[in-house]
Parts: sequence; C-alpha cells; structure tokens
Amino acid sequence: MRGLSFLVAILLPVTALAQSAGEVERCFQTPGACSSGGGAATPAPQQPAAVPRAAPQPDYTTVLNSPEADRRKLQESLRTLDKYNGPIDGNMQSDATAKGIGDWQRGHNAPVTGKLTPGEAVALNNEAARAPIKRIDPTSQAAAAPAPAPAPPSQSNGDALKALQARLAERRKAAEPRADAAVRSLVGDLKAYVAADGKGAAGEQFAGFAKWYAENKTAGRTVGEIAPAIDDYGDAKSGAAVTSELLIESRKGTASQSHCLVFAWIEGTPRKSAQAFSCDDVAGVEKWKSDQSLRSAWR
Amino acid sequence: MLRPLVLVVSAIIACAAGAWAQSRYGKVDRRDPIFLRFPEMADRYWVNTETMAASHKAVAVPLPRQCAFVYADAYTRGAMSEREVQDTALSNCNRKLAELGPLGDNYSVGCQCKVVISDESYAVPRDTMPDQAYGPVSIFYRDDRGNVARLNGVARYGALIGRDRSVTFSVDNPRAEQVCDGTFTNDGVNAGRFSLNCFGGKFSGNGTYLTKFGAPNDHIIGRGQTGRGQPIVMVIGLPSQLAIGTYGAI
Repeated sequence: MRGLSFLVAILLPVTALAQSAGEVERCFQTPGACSSGGGAATPAPQQPAAVPRAAPQPDYTTVLNSPEADRRKLQESLRTLDKYNGPIDGNMQSDATAKGIGDWQRGHNAPVTGKLTPGEAVALNNEAARAPIKRIDPTSQAAAAPAPAPAPPSQSNGDALKALQARLAERRKAAEPRADAAVRSLVGDLKAYVAADGKGAAGEQFAGFAKWYAENKTAGRTVGEIAPAIDDYGDAKSGAAVTSELLIESRKGTASQSHCLVFAWIEGTPRKSAQAFSCDDVAGVEKWKSDQSLRSAWR
Repeated sequence: MLRPLVLVVSAIIACAAGAWAQSRYGKVDRRDPIFLRFPEMADRYWVNTETMAASHKAVAVPLPRQCAFVYADAYTRGAMSEREVQDTALSNCNRKLAELGPLGDNYSVGCQCKVVISDESYAVPRDTMPDQAYGPVSIFYRDDRGNVARLNGVARYGALIGRDRSVTFSVDNPRAEQVCDGTFTNDGVNAGRFSLNCFGGKFSGNGTYLTKFGAPNDHIIGRGQTGRGQPIVMVIGLPSQLAIGTYGAI
C-alpha cells in the first residue's frame, strides 16, 4: 500500500511538470484556473508521460542512457539532499551513486535498487529543487525558536517559502535585544570619542571612523546626531558579530551633511576585528562577514 | 492701478505654494528605498564630492511605483536653476524609457517619468514612491517538444539583491495578478542562485543568476531548469522586446 502511495507520489510530479509551453502561458495569463488543483497539471490529454508508467517492469535503462548532463544533474540532486558526496561525473553505476540512490529510495519506502526509474529521477530532481529554500534555515535555530515541523516532501515551494519567512522573522526577533544593546553601546562609545575630542576606545577600534573624525575636525566641522540601523547580526567564528549602518551628521555653521558608515565588529571588551566601511562598500562589508564566518540571525 | 499689484502678489503666492508643495513631502534620507534601489545614484547624491554639493539636485523616475526600474539624476552645472535641473532629469528619464522600448507587454498601466526628488526634498507624496525594487520581467521556458513560452510581467523584490543573503521576489502578470514567487540566494558579489515557483507549485524551477550593470539598463539574468530539466531563462529589468532580443533564444 505504501509502495503504491509512493508510485502515485512520484507520478504526480511527472504530470505536473510535463507542461507544454502553451499551457504555461495560459496559466500565466489566468492563474486562477491553474492554482486551484486544475489548470496546467490536469489538462494534458496528449501528454504521453502517464501511459508508459503502467508497464510492469521498472525502466532503469532510460536514466542510465540519458545525456550526461542529466546524469550529472541527478548526482547534484543527490548531493543537494546530502545523499551523495562523490564526484559529479555522470556515472550512475558507481558504488557511491548507487548507494546514494538507495538511501534516497529507502527514505521514500521505495524498493531499494540503487537505480532510478524516470519517474524517480523526476521526483528526485523535484525534491532537490526545493532544497535550497530548506537549507537556508540553519539547523541551530530549531532550538531557539518554536519552528514548525520540517516541510514534508509534498509541501509546495510557496508554502515552504512562507514557513521560511516566518522562521526568519522569529529568529530575528530573538536576536533583536542583543543586537540593539550592541549598537547602543557602540553609539555611546562614538559619542564619548567625539566628546573627548578624538580620544577613546572607539577611535582605536575603528581607524576609519577616527580618520573621518580627524578630517572633519580639520575642516572645522562638528559631529551632530548619530542615527544607527542594524545591518546584520549573528554568530561568527569568534563570537557574536554585528554590522551596523550609522548616519552621522556633521555641521559647519548652518550647513549640515550626513555621512554613512558601516561599523562591523565582533562583540567583546574590547571589540574584536572592528572595521568601519563606507556604506557604498557593500562588497567590503560582505567580505568581512565571510571572513568572520557570520551566520546571520538577522536576514 | 491695483491690477499689477494683484498679479505680483498672485505670482509670489504661487511660487511660495510651489515651494511648499515640494517640501511638504519630506526630506530625503540616504537609506530611503529609492537610494537603496539605485546605489550609483545614491553615490552621486550623497558621496561623490563633485555632485553631492551641487546647489540643485533632481531625480526623475517613471511612476507609478512599479514602473520605477530606471532613473535619471541631474545636478547643477554652471548657473542652472532648480527648474532647469528638474527639466534635465525629466528629459533624461524620458529618453531612457524611450530607448528601452515599449512596456505594454509587461505593464497594463502607463509609465510616465516624473521628478520625484528636487534638492533635498521629495516632490511627490512619499506613498507614491517605490517602497520595494520593481522591474519588468520576462520568463522564457522551453518544453520537451521544443516550444517556447514567453511570459511577461512585473517583478518586485523587497531588498537589495547581493546585500541580503536571501531575497524573496514575486512576479505579477500584466493584470497585476501574482503568479509566481521565489528567492534569490546570494552566493557572491552580484551572483547567486534563484528558485521560482508559479501557479501554486505547478510550475517551478531553479538555477543561477547574475546581475549585469550598464547599458541598456541594469538587469538580472537567471538561467536554470524545471524539475524535469527543461530550460528556463528569467530576465528582470528589461522590457519584453529587449529581453527577447537579448536572451530569448533558449
């Protein structure tokens, strides 16, 4: 019975995906007719895909003889699903590939043959196509937030996307108090540095800010309001990492200007790996995050 | 005797009202969506010392907001007045829009350039400004018989691709019905992966994308395949005819 369920499960995506260009165009123009259980998936009388599936003998040769690009794609799908860690060489009969396929089949209560039927190949690729969305969610978050159960294989990309967005929002909410405190502390230190006329820890930690302050001081400009916004927050290899975008007002007479700097640091006393970037140096900020192995709890 | 005086007073009132109308929509901010959407313009407006200190600055974009995928900014040269700078921005915006070609395949609304920022203030109500990134989108799909579907509409996404690790987007057809959603996952500077999901999951695919800058317009080109291995190309930022001419051969 379960085997029959699986057969149905793997055949459904075949029909669902065997869409003609015309059907896809029609669905795009009138989505209401397609997204409620009908539409492009059902009206395919000329689609031959469902007929050969009735053959009693499993067809393993089609996949084995498929183009190399398709076979590589299947290996990539197995890798995406953490079932295969070997080379992407298109060899579907290697021990590692056969084992990966067997593991995947076992997980679906299907006969473990180590070879794929065309239907299984589609189901495998289809499942892997949904995987990037699932993999964004760090496993460490499971304990932090009351996340819903993992998406079942039949869950649509749209549902998975909504679930992901909800989990991301909860994760960010949990991180907000610590991120806010870290940024408030930074703003306090920057104001103290300005009040002490260029002396203090903030200038030693953020050489870019010290340089900016010195230039403004030389130009006869004074520092006004500092408006922070959290850019990113999360765990890094050496502690909690913060990046914050600060709009700093400088004044000269009645004229004022806003300068935008991104401050990046690892929390600690003193702050570690501290660096100030221009807000336009997006690549620099992203590289800093990569260097620190930042796992975002903010985005 | 009174008539000239009335005219002068009327003119003064009209000028004051115009200035008030422009400033009442609020001051611009470096982190406003329009500057996040167009970082090169933000650079000229806020950072570049040659342009940021101009006595008059103007930005024009096509409105309504879903049309705002191009922009034109202008800065005082010589003794240009604020009005002349506005006209320059407006003229450049119209020229860019005309060069990109007709938008009728993507939009059912008429897109018209308007001056939206003049000097440090918004020149239109804030709630008419784009609050997300928008752009015309074309999706090309080749089925297993070699037939090609060309789907044109409007894409919108809520943050800066390349800056946020993961950005969700959606696609509306020209009747403004949402038909697809998806994600861009940033793998590096201006490149990464995308997934696309349409008609409640009945048509989906994934692949990789690149952000391309410069002429004819900044755009995103994504290439991938459906779960069955059929190719998909998605172009965001170019009107349909330009997208077809550039990337339509799949």
